[in-house]
Amino acid sequence: MQVPMSKYLINQKGTLKKLVDMLSKEFKYVSILGTNVKGKNYTVYKTGASIADSPWNERGFVVRVYNGYNYSEYSFSQLSVDTLDLLVEKIREKANDDVNNLKAADIKISNYPVIEEEKIIKSHFREVEILPEEVSPEYRIKKITDIMNEAFTYSDLLIDFSVNYEECHISKIFISQNKDLEQAYIWTKASLAAIVRRDNDTKYYYDGISGLKGLELLDELQTMVKDVVINAEKLLDAKRIVPGEYDIICSPEIAGLIAHEAFGHGVEMDMFVKNRAKAVEYIDKYVASDLVSMHDGAAAAESVSSYLFDDEGTLGTDTLIIDKGILKTGISDLLSALRLGTKPTGNGRRESFERKAYARMTNTFFEAGNDKLEDMIGSINEGYLLDVTLSGMEDPKNWGIQCMVLMAKEIKDGKLTGNIMSPVIMTGYVPDLLKSISMVSEKVQIAALGACGKGYKEWVKVSDGGPYIKARARLG
Amino acid sequence: MVEKIRKILLNIDGINGWKINEKTVESNELFFIRKELDMNRGKDVTHISLTLYKDFEENGKKYRGSATISLHPTMDDEEIIKEINDAIFAAGFVKNEYYPLVKPSEGVPPETKTSFSEDSMSNWMTKLTKDVFIADKYDRGWINSAELFLDKVKVRIVNSEGVDVMYETYRGELEFITNWKEDEGEEVELYKDLLFSDYDESLIPESVDEMLKISRDKALARPTPKLDNIPIILTGEPVREFFTYYYEKAAARSVYENWSTAKIGESIQGADVEGDRVNIVLDPHMENSTHSAPYDEDGLILSKVTLYEDGILKRYWGNLRYSHYLDIEPTGIIRNIVVEGGSKSLEEMKEGAYLELISFSDFQVDTITGDFAGEIRLGWYKDGDKLIPVTGGSISGNINEVHKEMYLSKEVQKLNNFIGPYSVKLFNVNIAGVE
Repeated sequence: MQVPMSKYLINQKGTLKKLVDMLSKEFKYVSILGTNVKGKNYTVYKTGASIADSPWNERGFVVRVYNGYNYSEYSFSQLSVDTLDLLVEKIREKANDDVNNLKAADIKISNYPVIEEEKIIKSHFREVEILPEEVSPEYRIKKITDIMNEAFTYSDLLIDFSVNYEECHISKIFISQNKDLEQAYIWTKASLAAIVRRDNDTKYYYDGISGLKGLELLDELQTMVKDVVINAEKLLDAKRIVPGEYDIICSPEIAGLIAHEAFGHGVEMDMFVKNRAKAVEYIDKYVASDLVSMHDGAAAAESVSSYLFDDEGTLGTDTLIIDKGILKTGISDLLSALRLGTKPTGNGRRESFERKAYARMTNTFFEAGNDKLEDMIGSINEGYLLDVTLSGMEDPKNWGIQCMVLMAKEIKDGKLTGNIMSPVIMTGYVPDLLKSISMVSEKVQIAALGACGKGYKEWVKVSDGGPYIKARARLG
Repeated sequence: MVEKIRKILLNIDGINGWKINEKTVESNELFFIRKELDMNRGKDVTHISLTLYKDFEENGKKYRGSATISLHPTMDDEEIIKEINDAIFAAGFVKNEYYPLVKPSEGVPPETKTSFSEDSMSNWMTKLTKDVFIADKYDRGWINSAELFLDKVKVRIVNSEGVDVMYETYRGELEFITNWKEDEGEEVELYKDLLFSDYDESLIPESVDEMLKISRDKALARPTPKLDNIPIILTGEPVREFFTYYYEKAAARSVYENWSTAKIGESIQGADVEGDRVNIVLDPHMENSTHSAPYDEDGLILSKVTLYEDGILKRYWGNLRYSHYLDIEPTGIIRNIVVEGGSKSLEEMKEGAYLELISFSDFQVDTITGDFAGEIRLGWYKDGDKLIPVTGGSISGNINEVHKEMYLSKEVQKLNNFIGPYSVKLFNVNIAGVE
């Protein structure tokens, strides 16, 4: 079924075009992004349940104008054709008065050229099997409650088991002097989390699924319950790893975490503008083994960040960041591209209409290789298979990497021993890690359970993944 | 908007209670690359959250279902009515043990004072901008980029029991990156996110200066050596993160859900504690904290409470719902934490060999398991007389295995919503060195 566009946004188009016309009389560039994100979050756990709107819900607008030096923006949540004059006054205050006050206080203002846009009129509405709004909340709560009840049949050590399901229906429009864009799509995600306790030792394990799907996602979730409980139990016997450097195999999820933290953040081109990216010095140079090719882009994969246009009205693309080990290019928002004299790649994204657009990742992943997982395990005398992401942190300037991993499964003499270490922190110098990649499996898997921040803020929904990869890394 | 929603609610059947949280934010935002303004932004937005409650009984037991929805200022009556009807229908499938809503209180919370209310936002932005660059005076170190935000926030909480309270607060944020380059070696950078709710003329210049000096030290740092059986000292921001473990273990929700086994009257650090014991107070009115508030999100009036005394858990903290479940007096949700300083001065802590860790990529504490870990961005290794700046590698450990013998510094620090020891000394922590 086709995902419908927000009626509210469609109804505001005329008003927004009028606002663009009014502002265009005094500003050389004017654009407006309108967003209406409507989603629900359903959770059940041992003692109860909750239904709330998704934290991604929003409805509002952001105007960008060229102020004569660079760009000013104003975000607002009220819009009426009767108060457009007041709105224009507010935008004028930001673009003229505030900038002039700062200039008068001897604060330097950077200079940008005026954005030149091609004329584009485009719409894109994705398809899902089951539209969430057409199904009663009772169905979702019953389905996830059944999943939770099933979990408790698998272990007496389970003290809590939560099932979370979230759906987001995204509608956006972008209006400027030359662009008239609209898009609607739905993503859903669902996760399972088991908490187990033996004596005073408490451990947890989680897993989940996500995608550009409707309610049909819940059917896939049910198949994962038993493994989540069993893996949580296994963690009760986990040991602490002896710190050191090991041969490792990263699951597709951990490969995705490495792609994201190691080179995803490092090639966000607003970092190039700020001279925060070491990647600038390595364009067209080897940064990884020749088995490594890496992509990012709204058009690079089908996942939660597969949109038609970004939050600055640039159409999404597929960027080949690393080609057979050689760093080729970065991912860019519109203003960074303007400063650098490059082409924007459709990666200008905002946390919401209230926040600034930055160069951000979308769907980031390593390409598949030719190896089989059993051969990869068989090639290791002493090492670990790493699985399940806890967190990660980027270091674009100095190319450090921190990946917190829930499970390290021991490999000895080419076989998994059944012993588990947990948790594990993987650190290192990004090129050393990527150059050590010696085997790559045949199938790419992409996941999108979490969100990505820039530093500790500006959260956006992203996906990442890859095949299994064999490398060498420092674990602690 | 609140009045409009109230009026609509009066005409809809089947609602056993409701709560409206309205938040209006006026924001000024400046984005700098080096000392140049790269963009300015502003916003005027209103967020309205409505929670609807529906009561029902099963087998003689009372339940309270709920559903929370966002209502946008641009919604018309028809849209709002549809959202409310959908939500109250959904609330009927949420089977939570019954709990009451907050009732109006006659108490008067202390007035929150902030200098930001005494001048225009744009004048403050100019003043704060000047503060940002005061310490940017070194030849080899500089601010790479900075983002400055000042939000004026008005909060109103209204519920069906008659609560109708409001307050105004400010939220300032400065995110900045500092760089340093020595003649030899790589240029390095560090990240800092500073939050504040009142003007303190030394806060920004001192923070920037401190980060520039830490960046300088990082530029001189050598790879962390492989170390065994050496105590570590956490200093600065990681200390705040470390103590979130004790905060979460005392949460009424964590106890009710059985995620925490902490019991009132028992030592959170176990028996036979050899080092310092934790003393923790929650203070909703802490000065210059972006988390200070007179009321929690349910409209419950907040006051200071003691969580731990000499390591003994004195009470749980929580909102009315989870406090009702545990049959305890609710404290409300308080997010300001005060940890008392310990027995050792910084000088005493640094006797003998140690690895002091000042900056991590992202120091993480798992409040369920007690596991903690982080990649080292800057540390100081002292073995004998030599003090060496180090970088790279990581540490990992578990609070349950280290807090029987830990030492807190006498000296305390303030980091937005945290006042507590400047440093914590721990033993038996795994160190994964680089060479």
